[in-house]
Amino acid sequence: MFRNLFFIFLLLLPLFANESEDESSFYELGNGLQLGNLPLYIGGYASLDYKKSDDASRYRVDDIALMSYGNYDKFSYMAEFEFKEFYTFTQNDDKPNTTEKNTKLHTERLYLEYNINENYILRFGKYNTPIGYWNMLPVNVLRDTSSNPMSTELLFPKFITGAAASYTSYGDSDIVVDVLLQQNDAIDDSYNNYKMDSHYGVGVTYTKDDLSLKLNLGNFHNIEDKKRYSYAMISAKYTTQSIDISGELGTQKSEGEFTTKYAGYLQSVYNFSDQHLGIIRLESYDDKKNNEQDNIAIVGYTYRPLYPVALKAEYQLHSLHTNNQFLCSFSVMF
Amino acid sequence: MKKFPIILLLLFHPLLFSKEYAIISNKNINNLTRGEIKAIYLQKINFFNNLKMVPLNLSAKNKIRTSFEKKVLKMNINRLKSYWIKQHYLGHRPPITMKSQKSVQKFITNVDGAIGYVEIKNLQNGMNILYKWSD
Repeated sequence: MFRNLFFIFLLLLPLFANESEDESSFYELGNGLQLGNLPLYIGGYASLDYKKSDDASRYRVDDIALMSYGNYDKFSYMAEFEFKEFYTFTQNDDKPNTTEKNTKLHTERLYLEYNINENYILRFGKYNTPIGYWNMLPVNVLRDTSSNPMSTELLFPKFITGAAASYTSYGDSDIVVDVLLQQNDAIDDSYNNYKMDSHYGVGVTYTKDDLSLKLNLGNFHNIEDKKRYSYAMISAKYTTQSIDISGELGTQKSEGEFTTKYAGYLQSVYNFSDQHLGIIRLESYDDKKNNEQDNIAIVGYTYRPLYPVALKAEYQLHSLHTNNQFLCSFSVMF
Repeated sequence: MKKFPIILLLLFHPLLFSKEYAIISNKNINNLTRGEIKAIYLQKINFFNNLKMVPLNLSAKNKIRTSFEKKVLKMNINRLKSYWIKQHYLGHRPPITMKSQKSVQKFITNVDGAIGYVEIKNLQNGMNILYKWSD
């Protein structure tokens, strides 16, 4: 029943669309919709993608997500529910084709925030782990390429369920300190990259004008192999009107041994115009858990007829040649 | 020689005709730095001295807004558009938009914590200037 209502709402949402100069009062694609005068905003996103590797072609309806948020006095909340890998059709060269449907509605984010004052915010619930820059905005339509860097998959859990405190100092430069704490079971960890019941982390971000630097350190307990893992990551981002350069580099250890010796990327996005972007990303990792080491060069192009709509194509050239692949995707935020 | 005043006028033309603007509040806010104003307009700061902050924009194509975004926020319209779509994912909304400088000042008079920007020549009595800039 809830699933059907979810789909009906998604279909009706564009009917509220309105080309308006007043972006805060009316619905505009990518900005969500306020329900009446309630402190309640609704939005979402969706993505379709295609992947061609040496031996298979995959067609996928990946994300279909609905989110709701709002604030009242010093409290604010976010609730996001999502179908993940909703429909996948894979055409294999040397084995039968497969079709998979995943109609489970996942709880992607669910948290409550309390603004203590201009410097301190507390958060409780499930949220994207604020590590590096990529994992803060991990959805297809907001990121630069259809694929995610391997460093965001290997080094740290993408989601955390627990408490967080952040301190921000504003001036000519901004400093943000994040403290993360999980000492409980996770909310819907079925597609988190690590299943955890404990996670402690700290992050420091320094931003001045177009440059931002970040350091993250943390430790978590994986309930699948019952081991504790520690990670460290440094990130940097330089953004101007025409070019974005970003990079992340990290390492992970468990029981005194490297589990990921290093994983990182360096990416440059050049804005040919507001609609046309060219992307080059170089990645490298040495994953001891799976005994895999790879260097990847990615060349991509993104067309955004409107910012909340993205058509992306990329080619990945791997030193592990069997992983070479072509990806393209269509994604939208509403 | 007769051309000298004309040359002087041309040289100083930008200074003579540059417009001055101010970021204003009512008397309940005393002082804000440019960094704090930027953080309030980008909805990174929601409360200041225990007061709920309500930043006000003029309409998207208004020249004062364009100047404010360029000189105070130091972001152009496209960068701001992408910023607010990312903020939508993070659960934050852009500032509310007012139709005129008069309505900005009326709102500020009635709502503690509201801040906006106007051209200084249109400033009404009772407004508190927090920050000034010119074209």
